Amino acid sequence: MSEIKPRDVEALLEIFETSDWREMKLKLDGLELFVSKTPGARPAAFVEAAPPAPVAAAPAAKPGGGTTPDHWVSVRAPNLGTFYRAPKPGAPPFVKVGQHVEPTTEVCLIEVMKLFTTVFAGVAGTVRQVLVEDTELVEFDQPLVLIEPDA
Amino acid sequence: MGLRRVLIANRGEIALRVVRAAKSLGLETVLAASAADRDSLAAREADRVVVLGPAPARASYLNADLVVHAAKATGCDALHPGYGFLSERAALARLCEEQGVAFVGPTSQSIEAVGDKLAARRLARAAGVAMTPGSAKLESAEAALAFAREIGFPVVTKASAGGGGRGMVVARDARALVEGFERAAQEAREAFGDGTLYLERYVERARHVEVQVVGLGDGRVLHFGERDCSMQRRYQKMIEEAPAAALPAATRARLHKAAVDLLASIKYRNAGTVEFLYDVECDKFYFMEVNARIQVEHPVSEMISGADLITLQLEVAGGVAPALAQRDISAHGHAVEARILAEDPARGFLPSPGRVTRWRPPHGEGVRVDSAMFEGALVPPYYDSMIAKLIVHAPDRPRAVARLREALAAFEVEGVATNLPLLREVTAHPDFLDNRLDTRWLENVFLPHYGQPRE
Repeated sequence: MSEIKPRDVEALLEIFETSDWREMKLKLDGLELFVSKTPGARPAAFVEAAPPAPVAAAPAAKPGGGTTPDHWVSVRAPNLGTFYRAPKPGAPPFVKVGQHVEPTTEVCLIEVMKLFTTVFAGVAGTVRQVLVEDTELVEFDQPLVLIEPDA
Repeated sequence: MGLRRVLIANRGEIALRVVRAAKSLGLETVLAASAADRDSLAAREADRVVVLGPAPARASYLNADLVVHAAKATGCDALHPGYGFLSERAALARLCEEQGVAFVGPTSQSIEAVGDKLAARRLARAAGVAMTPGSAKLESAEAALAFAREIGFPVVTKASAGGGGRGMVVARDARALVEGFERAAQEAREAFGDGTLYLERYVERARHVEVQVVGLGDGRVLHFGERDCSMQRRYQKMIEEAPAAALPAATRARLHKAAVDLLASIKYRNAGTVEFLYDVECDKFYFMEVNARIQVEHPVSEMISGADLITLQLEVAGGVAPALAQRDISAHGHAVEARILAEDPARGFLPSPGRVTRWRPPHGEGVRVDSAMFEGALVPPYYDSMIAKLIVHAPDRPRAVARLREALAAFEVEGVATNLPLLREVTAHPDFLDNRLDTRWLENVFLPHYGQPRE
């Protein structure tokens, strides 16, 4: 991520506009971005964006009844596909709840027409929740795994 | 109906149109959208929405694997590609065939047979369809020059791999041809990844006419009359009409037969369009190309024939031969469509994405608006700029044109710049009113004076 162009910011804003998120916080290189649909809202401390994608979108909003702590990070689907927790049927899953992960730890696979994409944790921390059942269809940007980042 | 659930892999008005047509047949609908379109009107009306990927088309609408995976994983037994995006990719049709998903379109073989323009010309020749004198594939500017001397100038270079004006250079003499050849090959390479060119005689004053067909896949091909799409800017259609009022009746009948013969020869299945150039002065038409998909301008054919081409597409894809014979299809009255684009004609047709703050489309007898827009909707910057199609129908061309002008005057859009002011002036021009048009009229006659104060 060497250079952020106005077009990229525009694209991010479009995604925010069309999403049901209330706020978006982003920190990339020299850029800090905070947008909110609540008038007068102000940014809390910025969450460090982890270098190897997927997008570690800041507060993981949706699942449950808002019981998720704000600083937990959700690993999201890079595109639509089938979610696999393990490298092959019957094998132990890539990660289990309570396990510590590094940014480069593999957490799951997303399969599209027999092509498998590895999804990495993107952040150092502890796996708190796996949000999707094995072999379920996931959509682009869907939260897959919740990670509590190391303090 | 042989189908149960259809995936719609497109956006905008055509996605909405297909969702509604499928529902009218009792089919379940799954919309495969990009992240930018997850709250679109089509998304609201579909039974289910799946988000393929982020907004850019490359990562969503143009990824055949993603689209077919979405169809399989949501239990769809058919896939409608709409127009644009993947609609004419043989690879998508083939993937559907392999995965047992009915592709709502031609077979992958047919798409290949008509997709390459040189191959399509061979088909047309075999079916006895008239063509402008044209060459085979050309290796060099020298070969092009030799051929041009044989058939006579002016000539036009064309890309074998695609259309839309890319790779097209009109040359009126040898020097212009030699100079333009490499530029055209380069343009074709950039646009289609294939710089193969061929040469055709250039018709100076031509109309663009095309025939709407639906093939049943068994050699039977129905036609729904012809359209005149001569009002173009940079080979992009702006106003389309049905029927082509400039055609004599005998020529019209021959045109229909040529289109049907061409596609019957490959047992074409589903909706398609055969495009021709019509030389007004000589009353001759020449085959141009086949579009193996439903087209943007299909509604004008629906208005004059009373057919619903999208439901027909779904029925044919479901293996149900429609209870319709050629003798049941006849043309009534005249229909005109104007494409409403979020582009600013006052600023060089600059695309103007943004939030639509006011949206009041016209309505009334004989007025149809195909659009997925609404007040508060966002025109995203990633895709085609068309935001609506305004279609009118009346007993004859003068009354259809009058109705179009009233509807254009009543159409209110705020928040994004549109081509409505341009369309209002074009449709008031004496040449349009008298139907004295050709494919270069807008650029050569109208636009040079557009926006300048009247004397």
